Amino acid sequence: MPKVRERGSTHVYKVNKISKEEVDSMVARCIYEEPPFCNAACPLKLDTRAMLKAAAAGDFKKALQLYEKATPFPLVLSAGCEAPCEAKCRLCERGEGLAIRAVEQAVARFGGPPRAGSVFRTKKKKTVAVIGSGLFALFLAGELEKKAYPTTVFCEQADAEGFLRAAAGFLDEAAFALELERLKKKDLQFVFGCKATAAFLEETRPAFDVVCVSEDVFTELFPEAAVAPELMFCEGETLVTGSGSGVMSAAHNAKKAALTVDRLAQNLDPANMRGQEDPFQSRLYTDLSEATDLTRVPAAGELYTREEAVREAGRCIQCHCEECMKSCAYLQHYKKYPGLLGREIYNNTQIIMGDHQLNKPMNACTLCGQCTVVCPNGFDMAHICASSRRNMVSTDKMPLAPHEFALMDMMFSNGEAFLARPQPGFTQCRYLFFPGCQAVAIAPETVKAAYQDLCSRLEGGVALMLGCCGAICDWAGRYEMQESTREFLLNELAKLGNPAIIAGCPTCRKELTESVGGEITGIWDILDKIGLPEGARGLDRPVALHDACGARGDAHTQEVIRRLAEKLGITLAETEDSGDRSPCCGYGGLTAYANPEVADEITQKALERSDAPFLSYCMACRDRFARQGRESRHLLELIYGTDAGAPPDISEKRYNRLTLKKELLWELWHEETAEMKLDYELHYTDEARQLMDSRMILTDDVIAVMNAYRENGEAILESETGLAVACLRIGNATFWVKFTEDGPDSYTVHRAYSHRMNVVRREG
Amino acid sequence: MAIDRTYYSIDPEGKLQCMKCRVPLVKGKAKFLYLGNGFPVELPVCPVCGFVYVPEELALGKVLSVEKALEDK
Ligand code: SF4
Ligand code: SF4
Ligand SMILES: [Zn+2]
Repeated sequence: MPKVRERGSTHVYKVNKISKEEVDSMVARCIYEEPPFCNAACPLKLDTRAMLKAAAAGDFKKALQLYEKATPFPLVLSAGCEAPCEAKCRLCERGEGLAIRAVEQAVARFGGPPRAGSVFRTKKKKTVAVIGSGLFALFLAGELEKKAYPTTVFCEQADAEGFLRAAAGFLDEAAFALELERLKKKDLQFVFGCKATAAFLEETRPAFDVVCVSEDVFTELFPEAAVAPELMFCEGETLVTGSGSGVMSAAHNAKKAALTVDRLAQNLDPANMRGQEDPFQSRLYTDLSEATDLTRVPAAGELYTREEAVREAGRCIQCHCEECMKSCAYLQHYKKYPGLLGREIYNNTQIIMGDHQLNKPMNACTLCGQCTVVCPNGFDMAHICASSRRNMVSTDKMPLAPHEFALMDMMFSNGEAFLARPQPGFTQCRYLFFPGCQAVAIAPETVKAAYQDLCSRLEGGVALMLGCCGAICDWAGRYEMQESTREFLLNELAKLGNPAIIAGCPTCRKELTESVGGEITGIWDILDKIGLPEGARGLDRPVALHDACGARGDAHTQEVIRRLAEKLGITLAETEDSGDRSPCCGYGGLTAYANPEVADEITQKALERSDAPFLSYCMACRDRFARQGRESRHLLELIYGTDAGAPPDISEKRYNRLTLKKELLWELWHEETAEMKLDYELHYTDEARQLMDSRMILTDDVIAVMNAYRENGEAILESETGLAVACLRIGNATFWVKFTEDGPDSYTVHRAYSHRMNVVRREG
Repeated sequence: MAIDRTYYSIDPEGKLQCMKCRVPLVKGKAKFLYLGNGFPVELPVCPVCGFVYVPEELALGKVLSVEKALEDK
């Protein structure tokens, strides 16, 4: 019996199958965290999207809090901002962009009365002076107060009202009154009626750690001195200063100046560590197809009412790039955008000691490649997950449990159930038919019909190979097994004189092209060329065509399949996300073994696309859909008039493989296979069958346990249920069977279970 | 004397019998071994032949969760 080695626990290998650079460059493709276009265009970095969301929900208080993060004086700013964000709003591409400034004005007016800062706020030690008045001085004083610097404003006006009027005299009366209240609530010291002369400056300077002056004061006192405009700093005079021709530039410059103050107060070079201070172009992608509300809400009066502002804010489509998450049920399940999930999965591979908490998501991706197609930047989650799996294998950290059943199944396909023969009557054939392990397991009759058809209509002989292409170990990340499978197949092909391979499944075709190489044709290509066999007929109802992941990016195959469907007289129902955008059926990447829950969600999502019966050209897809109770047919079933019927359980799949091999050997090559017959009767209750299928226990495992029991008589009797329980360690697991002995040589299996842990007797 | 710390314990309470030896199972010493880790446990054991019984609830409950935790180490 073949066996896969369980992983060790003490080895510490470091063989990276995926480099950090590779991951970094891939993660950088995910633009989920890019800011929306409006936000990137705002010099003050207002979180426009969040503010609009709050306003659209009628929560003006929260909207104002968000707005105040960008500016200390929301009424002043919103009254005069040039709103460069508006031109960058994505809605402009379809109609009228959002009236962001008008909403801001409403937010500033309806967001509630100004609040004083908390009295418990700890203030900074260093002190700052602001000399002068005007917009820049006003905003700078506000920014410094926000940063908790003890700040004193020296101005020539007689009171706070005069100071505000000098800066923002353009405000209407109501707004002015509100903003004055806000100014007065700020934790600022004022010294009014100061004349800013050179002597006054020299006298004031020693009392403060940093001194800032308005543009007017600066040009009057130092007409010749140079100011670094990006820093708002005059190094020669050690003064922070800045200008502002309008509200927006004054507010922006005040922000830069406040950062310079921050750096100077800490004795740091003001030129360093400044971050992104200016507007930039966002790399975000937004799907505009759902943007329908393309006209601005008109204001009945001069300004928006509360309701009008709510409606206008509601037009914001909340730009986000979620293209992959919309289409992929796996990403939806883990609720993380791929840049983050991919990074976490990579980091998981780098853990030497400790929990690998991301093993589950790493093994749940179907490696289908859909995200790479739907992502505007081609993010390739499959690459990250596949290389991470290989990495876990190479460092001996990959648990065997999630994939062992599939790997054993593959070894069964390429062992006991393997068959390679030239067409009867030929010693060497021109072709070889490779139907794929799933087709043999799920639809043996169809495979047989297809093979006989190819034999009868192709010149030069068609050899047959029943086995697995190696996709299973490829998906499991078992690269060494992949290599030995490749060698095994190469060797078997050589024995047959290296005929040209005709693959029955697009995944086999892809896998074999990569492993054994050469020109590999799909059976669909052959049938397209030689024509359909007699009696081939489609369904009389429209069907939804499901494109296989194995044919992603393969326009030729997709086209040929559609042509065959047409020749069969099939009407294809409109199915969204088809062709290259097709989702996975849930079988790919061994998700169905490692994480059946996620696999089911993936299958459901694929089925949601249509109510029609599904037509596929990969047998695994046919099986997944049928398991969910949907009418599901493989193209070859229609072509050969066969019906694989209800999906087989895991034991039946193995049985089907063996039986087909036996039948073909007998019928075509007249070879007899030794019959493995039990010398006792074994029955299963329905419950036992169901438990075995969901717990991945084969009838072969149960038979092995029963054989052992019949030999050694070891079992336990449960007095409560009257059931006998026997067990046997097979490979990496212990199997338990609960049964009744109905007669001397007859048993009924009631339940079965297994565990991987070894349980042994302990002395002492 | 070393303290015998047991990770898990089940008493068969006379409800289980060894079919081979025809005696009731008793609470006995056993060990879980997986991926190089070991834990002492107490399980139903045949006092004569030493057969260790792992009930279904244990296999699908505690044993499975310990397996999973160790697999992801
Ligand atoms: S739709 Fe909303 S989030 Fe998108 S750019 Fe326009 S205002 Fe910004
Ligand atoms: S399941 Fe497919 S679409 Fe989803 S992340 Fe994996 S490769 Fe991408
Ligand atoms: Zn016994």
